[in-house]
Amino acid sequence: MKGLFKSKPKTPVDLVRQTRDLLIFADSKPDSRESKREEKFATLSKLLRELKQILYGNSEAEPVSEACAQLTQEFFKENTLRLLIVCLPKLNLEARKDATQIVANLQRQQVQSRLIACDYLEANIDLMDILATGYENPDMALHYGAMLRECIRHQSVARYVLESEHMKKFFDIIQLPNFDIAADAAATFKELLTRHKSTVAEFLSKNYDWFFAEYNSKLLESPNYITRRQAIKLLGDILLDRSNSAVMTRYASSRDNLRILMNLLRESSKSIQIEAFHVFKLFAANQNKPADIISILVANRSKLLRLFADFKPDKEDEQFEADKAQVVREIAGLEPRDH
Amino acid sequence: MVGTIPAMATVTASSDAKLVTFSHVKWVKMITRHLCKSQVMAHEDHEAADRETKRFHYPLDPNSYQILDQIGRGCSAIVYKALCTTTSAIVAIKSIDLDRSTSDDFDNVRREAKTMSLLSHPNVLKAHCSFTVGRRLWVVMPFMSAGSLQSIMAASFPNGISEPCISIILKEALMGLCYLHDQGHLHRDIKAGNILMDSNGSIKLADFGVSASVYESSSRYLMLNEITGTPYWMAPEVIHSYNGYSYKADIWSFGITALELAHGRPPLSHLPFSESLVVKITKGLRFSDYQKDEEKGQKNPKFSKYFKDMVGLCLDQDPLRRPSASKLLKHYFFKNCKGCDFLVKNVLRGLPSVELRFKESKLQKVGSMSSSSKLLGQHEMEDDEEDEEECLNVKKNRRISGWNFNVDACELDPVFPQDVFVKETTRGGESVILEKKEGLDEKEASDDKEVDDIGGVDREVVVGSLMALKKSLDDQREKVVYMLTVAGGVEETAATAATSGGEICNKEEQLMQVIEKLRLDLENEKRKRTSLEMELEFLKMHITNTCDV
Repeated sequence: MKGLFKSKPKTPVDLVRQTRDLLIFADSKPDSRESKREEKFATLSKLLRELKQILYGNSEAEPVSEACAQLTQEFFKENTLRLLIVCLPKLNLEARKDATQIVANLQRQQVQSRLIACDYLEANIDLMDILATGYENPDMALHYGAMLRECIRHQSVARYVLESEHMKKFFDIIQLPNFDIAADAAATFKELLTRHKSTVAEFLSKNYDWFFAEYNSKLLESPNYITRRQAIKLLGDILLDRSNSAVMTRYASSRDNLRILMNLLRESSKSIQIEAFHVFKLFAANQNKPADIISILVANRSKLLRLFADFKPDKEDEQFEADKAQVVREIAGLEPRDH
Repeated sequence: MVGTIPAMATVTASSDAKLVTFSHVKWVKMITRHLCKSQVMAHEDHEAADRETKRFHYPLDPNSYQILDQIGRGCSAIVYKALCTTTSAIVAIKSIDLDRSTSDDFDNVRREAKTMSLLSHPNVLKAHCSFTVGRRLWVVMPFMSAGSLQSIMAASFPNGISEPCISIILKEALMGLCYLHDQGHLHRDIKAGNILMDSNGSIKLADFGVSASVYESSSRYLMLNEITGTPYWMAPEVIHSYNGYSYKADIWSFGITALELAHGRPPLSHLPFSESLVVKITKGLRFSDYQKDEEKGQKNPKFSKYFKDMVGLCLDQDPLRRPSASKLLKHYFFKNCKGCDFLVKNVLRGLPSVELRFKESKLQKVGSMSSSSKLLGQHEMEDDEEDEEECLNVKKNRRISGWNFNVDACELDPVFPQDVFVKETTRGGESVILEKKEGLDEKEASDDKEVDDIGGVDREVVVGSLMALKKSLDDQREKVVYMLTVAGGVEETAATAATSGGEICNKEEQLMQVIEKLRLDLENEKRKRTSLEMELEFLKMHITNTCDV
């Protein structure tokens, strides 16, 4: 700490205050062309860089937890985060990146063993709307997207986003032609659907119908290879999670879902085939298979068994082999039931 | 927005567009450039801000790009030179096969795309845009027409580049590295193959296939416990991965790269890669690692003490004592550097084009049976392997075979006949051996089936490489004998070498064993010598002490 204050006379609290003042200036005068404007923006960029260095340290020094705590406390005492998010489009690229990293770091900072960022976001939950709509603006998408992903580390914030209208938009955003933006959105989508188990389970059972209808038609049956590949992997992650067992049972009882999965099994892409198998096995392993599922499996029995005969991942995988053996046994032993 | 498009495109397009006759495109370009100029004058500051923050100057549609040439290839990626028909800019497109990458690799690809599109520094290669085309990801980047420094050296400077040029190249690269470190990114694969040059002499750091952000890892500490990078350039603490990886490891690689530029190859590259690791761990690495070459007639007075001091700072075994990138930039070696024009005059003159060099390397690859030898081209890609272990394996072979080209070029080059410089012979021989090892590696071979037809092996070529192999072994033996005499040697090893030397003709395995044995002997002798030297030092001290008394 000594070293830090020797080189920088300003305390973290001073830095945050000065940043806030400049953000208020930036926010209030959208198109002012006065000469001081540029200077103020330059100072703002410099301050953001300094804040970042306090939080992350630099190549010479590790961050000091005391300084981080002071900074965090001052940051959330007033509306600095909102100002920063709102003013982000006015900053230059480097300042935007610094700001994004600051916001990301603040989500993890504890002050007296409390995540005060979470308290702030709960009181200002509309900020998530700004961040989530950021994906529609190509210039801001990666910055707002990264911030959003850090904010949904807090369960209450994730619940808000899951239950918001933004959730529906993700199905389109993750198919944008821009790979970097689409991939960033896909990472956020995955985080929302896997991070907080109980919230996800609740969301999926409440929103089962529209969610899986969209998931099947837009993602699993997308003409885009990347979309299908990411979607089938994520579906496996979701359904195989113990907390989602109710949803899994429901999913694995649907004939339409089975049809989609069997199409994915036939893909020429090995990666997609393997991921599809991990979902398909749920249909086969289900001990209360509905009659129509059984009849589809029986009708395709020989084809499926032939497919599985020389079906294996590039890497040795005992678990996979065991699963495959069981699926083969299940399918081979099926008796067609009369309706 | 529209006005900024040609502004982005001008530099790269000007020289290369001549190759293609797109008169209407040129015409549009001229018009738009003119428009752009007047706009720039009107809103200069706005323009600057826009250029920095706005994206999407490049179309996200494969039909807007016309592939002109292949300029590089890795195990799951190909690099093309292409014309962007809407902006008339010449670009490089890295096309990555996503189906060959695991989901973990996929995350890396995502991270790399994001990293590259958010970077903005004159010495760092950024991505204009990226989009998927079927199962492949296309990353559109500026085209760096002179290619990588490694390929430049292979073509024109097999013995290294002159110090004034090195200082410019390194300074530019270091500024890029400084920026990356400032941004919280580690490059993790600094080497001449990842330093690119444009026709105007500008230098950019490239290939973030293995780069990582310390901000994205959950730990606040700047350590990453993964082994990535290329062995010869890897810092000791990365090899001993218990310490993790920090900014300072990039500085080490930077130091190795300095040596690589000075000598045409990284130190110890004549040893198979695992040996170089071990040796590096057990002892310091300095200019002395080229000593054998120097002692055998090739003196190296050409390097200043500043250069040696700078490299020495980077190659400190203790990462804490190595300078940070920004501190290193203030080193005297980087004072009074000449400008990039100097590079154009002294490095680029007479250099064949990247396309041509890549084609030549491919021909030689077929000839020398090195199916996976790669990359002459501007971007080396080593990512997206299916299996980590296999990856490491393939990587090391492939990396080393990267030097094959170098070497082959030397062998084929009439200006540098084999026996003139020891360095060349050594390299020629060594690499052939490694090549053979590669040939034996079935996995690798099948991996690269699609790359070249290995089937068409020429008998002459095989005999040729076997002869080279023999030569290299002779050279090895010579070196051992030399070392033995230096250290007041033991006869028997030389005898072993001589007897086994007679039977070399066909079996590489045997040869490998012999070399392994010789190497061990060499190691032993070295160790002996060091202990003798220490004893000598000790005695000297003792003598001076007694004299003082």
